[in-house]
Amino acid sequence: MNETSRGEADDASFIERSRREPEAFAEVFRRYAPDITRYVARRLGEDAAEDVVAETFLTAFRQREGYDLARPHARPWLYGIATNLMGRHRRTEVRQLRILERTGVDPVTAPFTERTDERLIAEASRRNLANALAALPKGHRDALLLVAWGDLSYPEAAEALGVRLGTVRSRINRARNKLRKELGEINPMATVSEEPVYE
Amino acid sequence: MNEMTQLKRFRSEIPRRDLTELQTQENRLLAAIADQPSAGVERAVRRPRFTNRLRLGLTGLAVATVTAGTLTIVTDSEPDAPQTIHTMPMAASQVLKRAADNVGKTPELYPEPGQFLVFESQTMNPSAGQDRKGRPEIHLYRTKRKVWLPVEGDATGGVIESELLPPKPFPGRPLSPEASEDVGRHGPSKLADFDDRAEYLRSDYTYVSRLPTEPAKMYEHLYSHLGHNAQADTDAWGRVRDLLTEAYLPAAQRAALFRAAAAIPGVITVDNAVDAVGRKGIAAARVDPVIGERQEYIFDRKTYMYLGERSVVIDAAKAEAPVGSVLTSSAQLKVSVADHAPAVVDED
Repeated sequence: MNETSRGEADDASFIERSRREPEAFAEVFRRYAPDITRYVARRLGEDAAEDVVAETFLTAFRQREGYDLARPHARPWLYGIATNLMGRHRRTEVRQLRILERTGVDPVTAPFTERTDERLIAEASRRNLANALAALPKGHRDALLLVAWGDLSYPEAAEALGVRLGTVRSRINRARNKLRKELGEINPMATVSEEPVYE
Repeated sequence: MNEMTQLKRFRSEIPRRDLTELQTQENRLLAAIADQPSAGVERAVRRPRFTNRLRLGLTGLAVATVTAGTLTIVTDSEPDAPQTIHTMPMAASQVLKRAADNVGKTPELYPEPGQFLVFESQTMNPSAGQDRKGRPEIHLYRTKRKVWLPVEGDATGGVIESELLPPKPFPGRPLSPEASEDVGRHGPSKLADFDDRAEYLRSDYTYVSRLPTEPAKMYEHLYSHLGHNAQADTDAWGRVRDLLTEAYLPAAQRAALFRAAAAIPGVITVDNAVDAVGRKGIAAARVDPVIGERQEYIFDRKTYMYLGERSVVIDAAKAEAPVGSVLTSSAQLKVSVADHAPAVVDED
């Protein structure tokens, strides 16, 4: 998932080089664009993701002077920028989750899903999950998804969000509690199978 | 299956694109990178110093005395610039992050509409004018000031009482006798005859208590109507001062301000900074390459309470003063709430 450990120079050295040779920044894109694109697409859908990701790397490029070169990995920095940019799409994100909650059809994954029959099986838990995610305060959803989908550690999520580690811990704990509660309230009669569907 | 496992599987059918699939995106980025002006070109031409400041209060000398560090007027910004969104980068300044972490440690003030916030401070600023023979004169003008600002409304509703302290020579220049002429007490007088700051530069309590408490939003606020260049960062850093000097933000906004300021590109730490009354502290600072000065915001090393600000010369040619000399400094001594401001006396 994380491609930074290729035994090459760390991200900071590319960012530093890019201050003199801007093209060197392309390496930062190559290292992180696949992961960040998937992360953003999972939250907003592929169309919005394209713009957000383009803007994320351009913003990062413009802000490379401010990058703390003592940090070898640019991952939290880039996820932080992407998170900020996604803030402008908050309504889209919530609306799509609500559609899934109401209809059982997820606009975000629909283009990738052919197995409609299997999707129906997961309907109840997915709808509840969508409901819980939509209801979370944005800061809680950001922290939770950076860890669950972005594979950031807690300290990295704190760095990405510009908040204290303790804040990330408490946001994630609270978010998980809400999810657990929501998932626990699945009507057992409506749940055909407990099994996960997509693997 | 616990909620984290379920969450990890949720929408996991979204594929991870490899680099060949992202080639168009990469090309877009490379094209944009090639389009960026180099840092050298971006740098603004030198701006005249002290001209963008609105002078507040104190009639003082017969010549224009400009108080840096009080209010910035609209000419500072670029109203015609296209609205660019500034996304907050990683916060880099530990000093400001600690200041944000510690906002809760000082007692909070709760001023009500109709009341006044009272700021007591000591300041030093360059003051340029002419002596009696019409020759240019410059010195460092020092005051102790007490300012009453209405909780709601602009600076024209404010009152100032001040004491002009003995001036100091501008580093490397002689001190003219005229500089000491008005030493003594002044006021209470009206703080400002006009205050035409743009809405987004307001600093009255009512306005600042509506500012965002999210650092990223506060960051956007600091960059309101600024472009994407080196000068934008300098201007945003200056706006931090406008929200720290004779302004009082509720703790939540203050914390957001510090976190946002921590992310302004180029912020450094100055270990031994001294405010206008000699209190030592640690500073978050930023070099303004155009005027050749380092602008420092000084905090108490233990409590991280804001003490004051200072600007130190780092480029003698640009600042027209020796490297290391201090050109402006202030010390915020007390902030309190009062029901009334003193009646204004007519000094003229």
